[in-house]
Amino acid sequence: MKALVLLGCPETPSQTPLSIYATHKLTQMGYDVTIAANPAAKKLVMVSDPENHYINKMADLEKLLGEINEGDYDLLLGFVHKDAAASFFVTFYHLLNTKSIALVFERDMDLVEEYTNMVAENTDATVVSVRAFHNPTPIKVRLDKVLKELE
Amino acid sequence: MSFCLDTYLQQSDNYEIHASRAGFKDCAMIIRFKADEVVYIKPGDQVLGVRVIGIPPIPIGIDEKKGTVFIPYTKPCHGTSVVELPIDEEEIDNIRKLNTQ
Repeated sequence: MKALVLLGCPETPSQTPLSIYATHKLTQMGYDVTIAANPAAKKLVMVSDPENHYINKMADLEKLLGEINEGDYDLLLGFVHKDAAASFFVTFYHLLNTKSIALVFERDMDLVEEYTNMVAENTDATVVSVRAFHNPTPIKVRLDKVLKELE
Repeated sequence: MSFCLDTYLQQSDNYEIHASRAGFKDCAMIIRFKADEVVYIKPGDQVLGVRVIGIPPIPIGIDEKKGTVFIPYTKPCHGTSVVELPIDEEEIDNIRKLNTQ
């Protein structure tokens, strides 16, 4: 089984630790995990796991966008904390047409609602939404719950 | 046709940015407002060899007289922009074939 973890802009502090945490959890569940991110977000992940204890594969987001096809991954997990991240998630969802989870988080509740609606109205993905920014725990708790439902 | 929009925007000056660092919905509205003809495509459909990112239906504007196309262009940290750039007749026909509406 292959999973794709889709990262957005690295400005939000919770994204990098959660990407490593999510990769660890998915690997434990038997997934071969690839993290797709822009160069800055990739560097943050690589520096955080210098000996690749948790991260196995990383891909350039835009290069991967040009290459992927339906059937390439069995699970899409996307971090949605900006308008652009919602657009990327919806686009990858339509290209992969596979089981998908959107983790929507922002410090502003109105934006959480806006991004949640963007994803929910345009995909059949499971959407997990929470108000969060510096503290990754509320996102982690919801991620654990949704991954448990996958098992 | 192999095309890299990033490279094109860096190496050319015959394009126009109508909006930048915006949300996708605002950019979609600008394309509908500015373009004479609008074609609606699916997320990931290719225009000029580039997979277009966005929320469906994604508007692509066409100005046949000027020979230009308006496309939304999304970057993870910079949001969505509307770029108008030159296009040949054959590519306009290819875009029209993608129309979902």
